[in-house]
Formats: sequence, structure tokens, C-alpha cells
Amino acid sequence: MSKIEFRKLSRRFERDGKSFPALEDIDLEVQEEEFVAIVGPSGCGKTTCLRLAAGLEFPSSGTVSVGGQEVRGPGPDRAVVFQQFALFPWKSVWQNIEFGLKSKGLGAEERSSRIAKQIEMMGLQGYETAFPHQLSGGMQQRVAIARAYVLDPVVLLMDEPFGALDAQTRTVMQEELVRLARVNPRTVLFITHAVEEAVYLADRVVVMTRRPGRIREIIDVKSVRAKEGWDRFEKIEEVMDQESFVHLRTSIWKLLREEQV
Amino acid sequence: MRPDSRNRTGMLIGLATVAAVLIAWYVLTTVTQAISSARFPSPAEVASAFRQIAFTGYADGRLDQHVLQSCKLILMGFAAAAVIGVPLGLAMGFSRRFEAFFNPVFLLIRPIPPLAWIPLAIVWLGLGDAAKILVIWFAAFVPSVINSYTGVRSIEPHLLEAARTLGARNARLWLEVLVPGAAPHIFTGLRLSLQASWTTLVAGELIGALQGLGQVLNAAAQDLYPAMILVGMIFVGICGGGMTWILGRIERRAMPWRSA
Amino acid sequence: MAAYPQQAALSRREFWTLSLSGLAAFFGLWSAIALSGITPPLFLPTPWAVVERMMELTTQPFAGYTIQEHLISSVGRYLMGFGLAVSVGIPLGLAMGWFRGLDAAITPLLEAVRFVAPIAWVPFAALWFGTGIGGPTLIIFTGAFPPALINAYRGARFVEPRLIEAARTLGAGNWRIIVEVLLPASVPSIVAGLRISAGLGWQSLIGAELIVASSGIGYLMVKGQSNISTTTVMSGMIAIGVVGVVIDVLLRRLQSRIETKRLGKGSAQD
Repeated sequence: MSKIEFRKLSRRFERDGKSFPALEDIDLEVQEEEFVAIVGPSGCGKTTCLRLAAGLEFPSSGTVSVGGQEVRGPGPDRAVVFQQFALFPWKSVWQNIEFGLKSKGLGAEERSSRIAKQIEMMGLQGYETAFPHQLSGGMQQRVAIARAYVLDPVVLLMDEPFGALDAQTRTVMQEELVRLARVNPRTVLFITHAVEEAVYLADRVVVMTRRPGRIREIIDVKSVRAKEGWDRFEKIEEVMDQESFVHLRTSIWKLLREEQV
Repeated sequence: MRPDSRNRTGMLIGLATVAAVLIAWYVLTTVTQAISSARFPSPAEVASAFRQIAFTGYADGRLDQHVLQSCKLILMGFAAAAVIGVPLGLAMGFSRRFEAFFNPVFLLIRPIPPLAWIPLAIVWLGLGDAAKILVIWFAAFVPSVINSYTGVRSIEPHLLEAARTLGARNARLWLEVLVPGAAPHIFTGLRLSLQASWTTLVAGELIGALQGLGQVLNAAAQDLYPAMILVGMIFVGICGGGMTWILGRIERRAMPWRSA
Repeated sequence: MAAYPQQAALSRREFWTLSLSGLAAFFGLWSAIALSGITPPLFLPTPWAVVERMMELTTQPFAGYTIQEHLISSVGRYLMGFGLAVSVGIPLGLAMGWFRGLDAAITPLLEAVRFVAPIAWVPFAALWFGTGIGGPTLIIFTGAFPPALINAYRGARFVEPRLIEAARTLGAGNWRIIVEVLLPASVPSIVAGLRISAGLGWQSLIGAELIVASSGIGYLMVKGQSNISTTTVMSGMIAIGVVGVVIDVLLRRLQSRIETKRLGKGSAQD
């Protein structure tokens, strides 16, 4: 059971004794093994949504539940991938990936085999003993994703994970993520401000209004992808060339433009 | 200017100045006797004082015995202070409750310079080793706490969030996240503690001791023996520098993840 | 939001309750041990006995003078030593930062004496100056000089190269660059060094007075110790602590004001 449910969720924050609404009245269901992307203007609260699901923040009213259970705090069942990687600089690649596994009480052998598999899956062979500062941004983010994935989490929460990468590395990682999702599907909540990224990766795209953040519209991408057969293309630029893709992307852009003003 | 030649010029200037000072020293004390040996010793006198203390002994001991004694006390006081101070600082940095409770008392103790504890320590424990270890402890304690505190506070919030989402609690949180995260600052604190320890020890030994480098300085001052004073000072410097160097090596090995 | 609950900010009530409990526990423990008789009264006087003694010392001279007179004597020496350290250290540090040649020449000498604790100069101070003012001044100097020098050096050495380039492209000659660019740019570092220097100088003074003085707070404490008057010793410690805090607060204010002037309101750091 890995549904994420936001029910009538609101979040206010305090500053100088006054309270400001960050999110208002969010009703959203992310289905099992569904990939949902949230886009919106800066400050619209999309990251807050993710942090609420992660248990790093708490709602002012309403509830957020994962798998039917209300979220009470952070945990390895809702693995988070941060924009800034958040790799422990004092641990090697292997040790970073191992970190969450230790909380699960698995034996050393079991851990070892899982980590090895993850390293292979993310293309990190040969870097097991390297430290984060020795790796490029793209490699570091791979480690961060591996660290989350190795836990076999119920839900994967990704907060603008490719935001800190350069354009070329970014496209490589996006293709990787699509491949991963096919091989190892799970429920994903993905925050981004890059519309193309959202349309390429997601089953549904949630468009938010500017602050206070509300859901403006939810666009169904999955049916378009299925109908137009985007999956037959290997390369990301081939998908992005499709008229259907451009159409979707443009309509979302237009929505965001209206929110920008 | 090519970097190579700049460095070399720099080194040459440095060497030249050092040489000039040494030569001036020799000339002023031995050749012209412009500075009387009652004020500042000549190189020859220093050499002979060194030979005396190294082989025959001075102030109830040979050089190696004095050095050992001083180093022993330093290590004891320093280790005891670090063992208590570092965890306390880490705890105060991490837990607001802990901080609120202990901080006021710490703020009261902190402004008292370590040397100011010497008379009290002597009243409590007499002129022996125990008093010195106590004062060294105070000297080393404060920097350890402060820097460990800063160290924990300097850990990037994202790392702590990541640790929490990955299920790190209690022992694992401390050993695998807080301590390594604060490590650079902890070592800075240890370095400052070490410096403070030496200052305090020498002061303590100047006031009263049976053996130790400070005692050498004290005896030499009373005997009006400037050459021996200088020998004592040189070895205070060497020992202090040596320990700092060792600490630096430990630091580098303890944190293999640091880039240069 | 804090990652872990222990890091969450406390409510005002919780903060004050804990802070006051901490203080209460400390003084409570102290008083309890002092009153219980585990230790002889001379060894650990009660907190209020110490306060009483401090008051006494303001009217009854001990070791020659009242406590205020001792303090004034100490502060006087301190200012001399500190003043000397700063007036030599800052210009020298700046000069070393600007002229690489000077840096190369002097740094080896400083490195050589770096690890000799200031207090180790006491015997020479005693030899050269007896118990006169020269002794403590020398020792305060050795304590206060390095931070003043190093921070001035850093301020001068690490001025943003762009600023100097800009000045050159605007036609400024060497003299103007030094006075109108390098000097102002070094001020924050100099002031930071001043603050550290002041603190270390005060500490070194105490050390000096423990050994080579005939007046001053340190001397008061040593005499107190030889008379086994723990209350006197503790009074001295408190006086030293208070003056140390006052010095630091004054310099912190100075630092704030300079920063506000340079960077505008709201940027003063603590």
C-alpha cells in the first residue's frame, strides 16, 4: 500500500508574529506506482508538499497519509532525494548507500548484496570507496538516488533532484530515471520547476498556483504517452520532438505564465 | 613573475633574515659584548647550558626528565578535558534543552582565564602535580566545549534531514553523523586546548614544581642564569610545537574524506 | 524546521525554566557542599561568603591596596602592554600583508617563537625588569601581539584583487591605493584581531601578575593563596572575569558599529 493522500491540506508559517499561508486546501492522491510531478512558480509551496509527505514538516490543518497511515515523522519508508544531494561527506559511496540499510536491521551479508546490486544498477562500479568530494555532481546524485532506492522504499520523494546539475548531465539522469522506473517501478512524488522534465518523466503533472499554493490543474500525461507511443524512443530529444509532447509542454507553460503575473 | 622564482626568492629572503639575526646575536653578545651576558646569553653560553641540562642535569633532573614530566601533565589534563568537554559541547550544540540548562553556568566560568585558577588550585591541592592537572583541565575544557558546539551547529541542515529520513537515531546519529560532521571544528578546539594547556602548565610550574620545564625556567630565573632560561624556552617551544604537529597528523588521518 | 526534535527552538518558558534551573543547580550544589562540612570552610566558602569578602575588599586593603586599587593597577599595565602590542602589531601586520618581501623576511622569525607560550617570557621579564612595570608589559605584549599582527596581515593580504584592479583602472597610484583601498578593506580584520588580542592580553597579564608583581589583581590572588584566604582568591577571580567580559563587550560594540557604518543597518554580526 503506497498511496500518498493529501486531504484538505493547509500549511501556514509564522513570521514576525504574523501567519502566512503557504499551502491551501490541497487534495491530491498519488496512486500506487504512479509517478506524479508537481510544477509551479517559485515559492508556491511545491517543496513544502514533499516535505509534508516526508514528515519533515507538519500540516497546519488537514492530513497527509502514506499507505493509509498518517505521516508522523521522517523514516526510510519514504525515502527522500534532496536537490543538494545531502551525501555524508565523511562516508564513502558504499557507506552512504549503506546508511539507511542499517536502520532496517538487515544482516551484513544481506546489506552487502543489496548495495552491490544498487551500485550496478546506478552505474557506480569502481567508485565504491570514493568520497563525495571526489565525484562530479551527476555521480553524487546517482549515489543519492541509490541511497534512497536501496531501501526499497514504499514511496520515493524527489525534491528538484536534478536542479543542481548541468544541462547535459541532467538529460542523462532523466533518461536513467525513466529506465529505473520501468525496471523497478514505485510510487514517486517529483518536484521540479522544469516543465519539460515533468512531462517527460511523469504520469500526471500537478500545476500549482502561486502563493498561497493551490492546485490549479492536473494534467494527465500517461494516456498521451501511451497513445503516442513515446516509450518506443530511446533518446530524450526524440520524445521532446513529438508534437504531442510540445503541445502538452506548451499548455503547461501557459498555465504557469498566468500564475507568474 | 613565475611562481617558482617567487617562492625561491621568498625562501632566500627568509633564510637571509634568520642568518642575519643569528649573526647579530653572536656579534652583539660575544664579539662586541654590547649586550652583557647578565641580560641575554651568548650562543656559546646557551650551548653550554644545553649540554649541562641534557647530560648532567639541572633543577633536579635531566632535560628528558623535565620534558617527560611536563608532557605527562599536559596529556593527562588535556585528555581529561577533551573527554568531558567534547561530548558536552556536542550535546549543547545538538539539544536546545541541554544548552539552556548548561549554558548559564558555562557563561559564568568562561571569562575566568585559566591562569586565574592557579591560586585556587594551589589552595585546594597544594603545590603538587594534582593542582597543575586541574588548571590544565580548565584551560583545555573551555575551547573544547565551544568548538564542539560550533561544530555541531555547522553541520548542514540537509545532512541532518537526510540522516533522519534514513532512520538514524541515538547511537548511530551520534557516531555516524554528529561526531564526523563536527570533526573539523572539534580538532580546531583540540588545537586551541593544547595551546592553552601549555601556557597554563608553564605558569603553574613557574610558581612551584619539583620537575618540569616551567620549573627549569623558575630555577634559572632565581639563579640568574639567562642561558638556561633560553634553553628552557626553546624546549617549551619545541614540545608545544611537537604536540601540535602530532595532533595535526592525527587530524589528517581521522578525516580521510577532506580534500587537501 | 529542525531535522530532529532535540534541535527545535524552545518556548520562552521552557528556556527560562531550564536556564534558571541550571544556575540554581550550580549554586545549590556549591552551597550544599560548602555547608555540609565535607570540606573545611577555608577550602570551599559559601557563595555569599565570597560576596561578603568582595565587599570587604573594597574598603579594607589587602596585600597593600583595596581591590579597586589593585584593579586599576592591573588595568593600567594592561593598557600599556596592549597599546604597545597593537601599535606595533597592526602596522607591521599590514606592511607584511602588502609587501611580500617583508612577509618572507619576518615570517620565519615569528614561526620560530610561535610555540613559546607568552608566560615563558616571565623569567626574562623578571631578569630585565624586576617587579617594575616593564615585566608585565612585556608579557602582555607577547600575548596580545600575535593576534593583532596576524589579523592585520590577513586583512591586508586577502583584500579582493578586483578592488585593487578597479582602483588601478580608475587611475589611482600606489599611495592612494594603500590609503583609500587597502586600509579601509582591512579594517574588519583589524578590529577582529583587536578583540582577540584584547582578550589574550588580559589573560597574559594575570599570568604575569601571579609571578612578577607587587600590586594588581593577580598579586592579590597570589597573596590570598599564600594566606589561604579562599574568599579573597575567588573575589579576585570574579573581578578578573568581570573586567574580561567588559573588555570583550566594549570591543564587540566597536566591531558592530564599524560594520554598521560600512555595510548599512542590519548587517552587524555578533
